[in-house]
Amino acid sequence: MSDVKEFQSRPTDTSRAESPLEWSLHEQKSLPHASNPGVILSEKPFMGQLILRGGAIVMDEAVREVMDMALPAKPLAVVSDDSGERSIQWLSPDEWLVIVPGGEEFELEQKLRQSLGQAHFSIVNVSGGQTLMSLKGSRAREVLMKSISYDVHPHAFPVGKGVSTTFAKATIIVRRTQEDGWELILRRSFADYCYRWLLDASREYGVSVTR
Amino acid sequence: MTQTNRISAGGRIDRSRGLEFTFNGQRYQGFAGDTLASALLANGVDIVNRSFKYSRARGIVAAGAEEPNALVQLGARKDTQVPNVRATQQGLYNGLVARSTNGWPNVQRDVMSWVGKLGGNFMPPGFYYKTFMSPASMWMTYEKYIRMGAGLGRAPTESDPDIYDHMHHHCDVLVVGAGPAGLSAALSAARSGARVILCDEQEEMGGSLLDSRETLDDVAAVRWVEQTLTELGSMENVTLLPRTTANGYHDHNFVTLHERRTEHLADTASDAGFPGMPRARMHRVRATRVVLASGTHERPLVYANNDLPGNMVAGAVSTYIRRYGVVPGNSLVLSTSNDHAYRAALDWQEAGRKVVAIVDARANPEGDLVRQARDSGIRVITGSAVIEAKGTQRVSGARVSAVDLNHFVITGSIEDLECDTIASSGGYSPVVHLASHTGTRPQWDDKLLGFVPGEVKGLIAAGGVSGHYALEETLADGARAGRQAALDSGIESAEELALPATRKRRDGESCAIYQVPHEKKGLRVPKQFVDMQNDVTASAIELATREGFESIEHVKRYTALGFGTDQGKLGNINGMAIAARCLGRSIPEVGTTVFRPNYTPITFGAIVGRHCDELFDPKRYTALHQWHVENGAEFEDVGQWKRPWYFPHSANGKKESMHEAVARECLAVRQGVGILDASTLGKIDIQGPDAREFLGRVYTNKWAKLAPGRVRYGLMCKDDGMLMDDGTTSCLGDNHFLMTTTTGGAAGVLEWLEIWHQTEWPELQVYFNSVTDHWATMTVTGPDARKLMSEVTDIDLDREKFKFMDWKEGNVAGVPARVFRISFTGELAYEINVQANYAMQVWKTLFEHGEKYNLTPYGTETMHVLRAEKGLIIVGQDTDGSVTPEDLGMHWAIGYDKPFHWIGKRALSRPDTMRGDRKQLVGLKPKDPKVVLEEGAQIVLDPNESIPMSMMGHVTSSYYSPELDSGFALAVLKKGRERMGETVYLPMSDGKVHEAEVVSTVFIDPKGERQNV
Repeated sequence: MSDVKEFQSRPTDTSRAESPLEWSLHEQKSLPHASNPGVILSEKPFMGQLILRGGAIVMDEAVREVMDMALPAKPLAVVSDDSGERSIQWLSPDEWLVIVPGGEEFELEQKLRQSLGQAHFSIVNVSGGQTLMSLKGSRAREVLMKSISYDVHPHAFPVGKGVSTTFAKATIIVRRTQEDGWELILRRSFADYCYRWLLDASREYGVSVTR
Repeated sequence: MTQTNRISAGGRIDRSRGLEFTFNGQRYQGFAGDTLASALLANGVDIVNRSFKYSRARGIVAAGAEEPNALVQLGARKDTQVPNVRATQQGLYNGLVARSTNGWPNVQRDVMSWVGKLGGNFMPPGFYYKTFMSPASMWMTYEKYIRMGAGLGRAPTESDPDIYDHMHHHCDVLVVGAGPAGLSAALSAARSGARVILCDEQEEMGGSLLDSRETLDDVAAVRWVEQTLTELGSMENVTLLPRTTANGYHDHNFVTLHERRTEHLADTASDAGFPGMPRARMHRVRATRVVLASGTHERPLVYANNDLPGNMVAGAVSTYIRRYGVVPGNSLVLSTSNDHAYRAALDWQEAGRKVVAIVDARANPEGDLVRQARDSGIRVITGSAVIEAKGTQRVSGARVSAVDLNHFVITGSIEDLECDTIASSGGYSPVVHLASHTGTRPQWDDKLLGFVPGEVKGLIAAGGVSGHYALEETLADGARAGRQAALDSGIESAEELALPATRKRRDGESCAIYQVPHEKKGLRVPKQFVDMQNDVTASAIELATREGFESIEHVKRYTALGFGTDQGKLGNINGMAIAARCLGRSIPEVGTTVFRPNYTPITFGAIVGRHCDELFDPKRYTALHQWHVENGAEFEDVGQWKRPWYFPHSANGKKESMHEAVARECLAVRQGVGILDASTLGKIDIQGPDAREFLGRVYTNKWAKLAPGRVRYGLMCKDDGMLMDDGTTSCLGDNHFLMTTTTGGAAGVLEWLEIWHQTEWPELQVYFNSVTDHWATMTVTGPDARKLMSEVTDIDLDREKFKFMDWKEGNVAGVPARVFRISFTGELAYEINVQANYAMQVWKTLFEHGEKYNLTPYGTETMHVLRAEKGLIIVGQDTDGSVTPEDLGMHWAIGYDKPFHWIGKRALSRPDTMRGDRKQLVGLKPKDPKVVLEEGAQIVLDPNESIPMSMMGHVTSSYYSPELDSGFALAVLKKGRERMGETVYLPMSDGKVHEAEVVSTVFIDPKGERQNV
């Protein structure tokens, strides 16, 4: 749809960027490092993140054309491209989260807008507002069971599923893009709280944080 | 001291692992596998407590959750105190320290005993209320001493060194109880492939099988328990939760379980060698189906002095002998109504101690166990019951008589038997508590002489709790329930479980006996206790019915029957039966009281979980937080956000006060340039061809003509016409807007927009997305703002090209930015929005360039002063949900003639919102400039009016203004705008009365010239 103000909010020089977890990691001074960790946390900062809103059919056509990917066909589904670097997640009946390597998001937004033409839709860049956290390890599922009330048993939460849910007293997006790990999407202002909660819940299993 | 009551072999304790513990200051030994209760009994400790009301000596009565007397205060240190622990549920560990909950100063000679002895007969129900009620003001004093004497456990006075947590589970089948029914249910469900959770409250799973005399497949029943647990433990779809009590059954099969993780090992997790491990965990289980296999509690008989130490329920005697290798006495009299209790006498005799007699209330008992007892040479007295226990500190004998239960009298002569222990059994009460938590009333079963669970959707009762007492039936019922639960949960097929072979046993019919008649009547009968924990006697229930309490719920409240942590486990059915007899009704007619969660006491720590200390509530931080910390900011909580409040300077070791810092920050903005982190303001991106139309419907003012590049202030009302939020909205493109909201209102406003869009105007093509966290916002404001900005941006700042209420995009400090010329200070201001990941570099660059302009960071306090000087409101401070835009004098921001009916419009034409004497926003200038009025102070017109004075309004915002060098305030005042120039009065609580002049809300730059330069 026309008459929307596109805006490239990413500077050419990104060397001084600070992720939402910068403050938490800075405060910590040395990162937890267990010898035999049951839980491994690592932030994947500075990803490009877009929220797509619109009708599923037009949106599907556009992402097929621009990203060579299909929209997830089912609710609560997340699909990734072959590289695993780009993903599209169903958030609500007319809402999807697209995550791409940092720097791709603006061009992607422009191309999608072009492809969608005069359809009714919106695309919003939220790359600065949330960050990705990878949660791995043999006890990762137990950490999630302490944190969210959603059923994370493999029967109920197979690879390719993602949900928005409450996480302790915050909200979070939880998804399983691979067999051996989870991805959490933390909202910037709640990231420190979620990170502290994760560390606390992981402590009894041994936890390592990598950057 | 030796373990005088410990037998040399048998039981499930480990005699090679001795443990030391301390009870009431005395050191004792026990073994691994003991509970505190079994270890106390092994050491011959008779008195474990004093009773709550009468201060009578009390001993251990039962072996499980139903124990009413052995409540202890656990913990060796001040910070590890746990009140109201049942000794029967506390696993023994080395170094355990416990004291009696009740019995200040000690249980052997209790200072309160005069109350029980002298006052005994004069303490009817309601005694404390009736006696200590007047004067009412003294109750607090009385209560303090009554509580110290009566005691209900002491809360710890120091902070708990342990942690507790929660874990969420989902399963197909939750099995509560791992006795024979629970184990067969779990096995049956698990083999079908269902996700199964099996929880059991005891130290070890197996329930009644752990002390059973019976065999399964011709070997001791415990072998089958071990086998079954091994199989279940190896299955990936099964979670075993031992030491885990199902404490609450909530709607939709949501069950809360309390797991003791290190409580049985040591005082703290660290002492147990597991630092950091939660001491207890609350499991929050959402089960598709629940199998309730909670078994039964044996009912003691209600005879005189049945609370003396040495009186026990029959099954507990068996449990202590067979499971713990403890015979809790030397000579036993058993009083029973049923065959099953005979086990106690047989076990006792086999342990090598003397069984004086079995007193059976039935005329002709003749089951297999009866025959076995007779064959063993035990004397069986039929048609009789123990009517009274004799003794002072411990049972020394039993008075036995023939009884006529139909006429509730004794018949024939009374025989005195010498003994030190009386075991009794009046039958079994299914443990219906959990099923009743849902609100379902249990159903009376005449044949069982007990209440069974009422129908609860999603719940299947199995085994003892549904009235299957014979082992063969219990196992089969469990297997059936487990299979059914798996199928009901959606498992496609489940095979029938092959059950181990049991030996057939013939049991005779039981008889109904609750309270035992005595030769004396009424209050002259020595006390017959129904509820030992709450000291409720049979005569108290009789009295309650005589005093007109007919509903069992009223009887309960009048007598305290089944109150508190006890929840009527041993006493409720007896109490109901007594009430029924007194009222001439049947037990089902009288009914039960409501059982409530939690089934057993649960520590607050487990309820709180990890939601405490730094994780109590989320703290939200902006992208610039680290800078604020490093630059000495004091923080203010705004919702969950941590916002800089002010930035005190320190010089020569002296830190500025808030007053000094704020005055300095205010002047810097008014005379130079200041900067504020405004990132917390809510931001909503709005796109769609109907975005503009939508804004027109949710804001009171007009949006039709706002051009791209322009910004407008908007007011949002609820449908009652009251202001709910305000903020600026910028037109980014014809179909694209950026709305800002208050910090606290952000989530609520987004929800508000979605609700109206989704439910009222779904035809409007518009989407809303929160971008609060994506953008960081910094406000550069003051006369020097333009000079500073010109050094760091490529945007043309010419006042004609970039006017007040315009926005532009460009680079600021090398980062793409949107810059808005809006002002909340009344000065020239640029609000810079950049993607939050790059905010810190922009902020720091501004300070590099700002040094020469003395760029001053300011916080929320200065922001408040500056905006109040300009009469700019803060929603929620100057408004309280009862203030309309008209009340605020904002008629200019209301578009009554807009074509579509916007939210709140109709309400603004109601007579009440239009009446002339509403409170209106005004400014107040104290006559004494040194006075800063109190926020919330009431305004009156006549300071000499007698109380109650006519309150005309109140102060909403009040500060000291460095520029005016005077206090000033905003206030709401009835007919305020008509009162300009008048003097009003503000009486204070200390008797002072402040005078103030009603003035305009704009104190500085009334024409608004400074923000327009």
